[in-house]
Amino acid sequence: MKISKYLLPVLVIFTLFGGYALRHAFTKPTTQVTFEGNGTETTTYVVEGLKCKGTANYFTSLYKDKAGISSIETFATEHLAVFTYDSEIITADDIQAIMDASLPMKDGSHRQVFRCVERR
Amino acid sequence: MKTRYLRYSILILILGIVTYQALGFSQHSFEAYCPFGGMEALWGLFRAGQFSCATGPLNLSMMVAVLGLAIVAKKTFCGWACPIGFLSELFSRLGSKIGLQKFEVGPKLNGALKLLRYVVLIVALFYTYKLGELVLRGFDPFYIIFSGFGHGTLGWITYTTLGVIAVGALLIPMFFCRYLCPLGATFDPFSRLGIIKIERNAELCTECGDCGSACLWAIKPMEMKKVRDRDCTNCLECVDACPVDDCLSLKASL
Repeated sequence: MKISKYLLPVLVIFTLFGGYALRHAFTKPTTQVTFEGNGTETTTYVVEGLKCKGTANYFTSLYKDKAGISSIETFATEHLAVFTYDSEIITADDIQAIMDASLPMKDGSHRQVFRCVERR
Repeated sequence: MKTRYLRYSILILILGIVTYQALGFSQHSFEAYCPFGGMEALWGLFRAGQFSCATGPLNLSMMVAVLGLAIVAKKTFCGWACPIGFLSELFSRLGSKIGLQKFEVGPKLNGALKLLRYVVLIVALFYTYKLGELVLRGFDPFYIIFSGFGHGTLGWITYTTLGVIAVGALLIPMFFCRYLCPLGATFDPFSRLGIIKIERNAELCTECGDCGSACLWAIKPMEMKKVRDRDCTNCLECVDACPVDDCLSLKASL
């Protein structure tokens, strides 16, 4: 069966859009950490600097001793961090302040590694 | 309308979108769209139940979609959507224009060199599995170019790699895609099954060889009835080059 050459670009565009739409079927966090506590509040942060598994591990380590946080899920390719927490112990602003803070580097200097660009 | 104009329009659009993402204007990283990242992500999921390094769900879904496209239309992704394939093609055409492609790689050597892409595929998957890191980033032209020699590149080793790939494309058409691309190696078995392919009408064919000369992958459609070659990207350069109407055409068949 003869086929029009215009079918090829249609197939390519359909594939690219289809691949994009299909991403939700494979959603899995880059890292997933749970702490003690029974927080019910959930806030999603769009975090600049959260871009791979290494940075995601470092990011979650910033919260390991912070009371009130029940869990953190990161989605590195989308630069997202989802916090579940007890808002009576820690607020969304407190959580953001921790990620926005300048962090100590190996050479003794301090640098802002992460920056919250949006909160949902 | 010459198919190349249509194809280049789509490729320029895709190159623009990837550049836009690479410049940080999009929520997704430019790496998230790479279907080969999906292969590496699979290994990470298999090994630790988590995505490796900078791979994510979009890599995986793009890989599934693009493999689906390969079953339907062979390596159409490579010829119509891949930004590195596009840059390789531009370098290859430049090399031809300035007269650098004076020798032809013989079929035997060409076949042997194509095995290199399987070596790259195995090495990439092995180290991703072993270390959970995308260790070949420093050798990956897609990452090197769009990250602007970003994190994970290896200084002079990366510059040399990119130089070899660029000079290689000037001397041998589609050098990287033919011999080194691990995504191309992943597509190979699916591409052979491709339903939409170019077919030749032997009764109309004058065996002038224009189709073979137009093919950057050194495929010779005039020697085949159906172009089943695993490297065919359905770019349709051969169809446009053929002087006889309907001698070469795109058809759906098993």
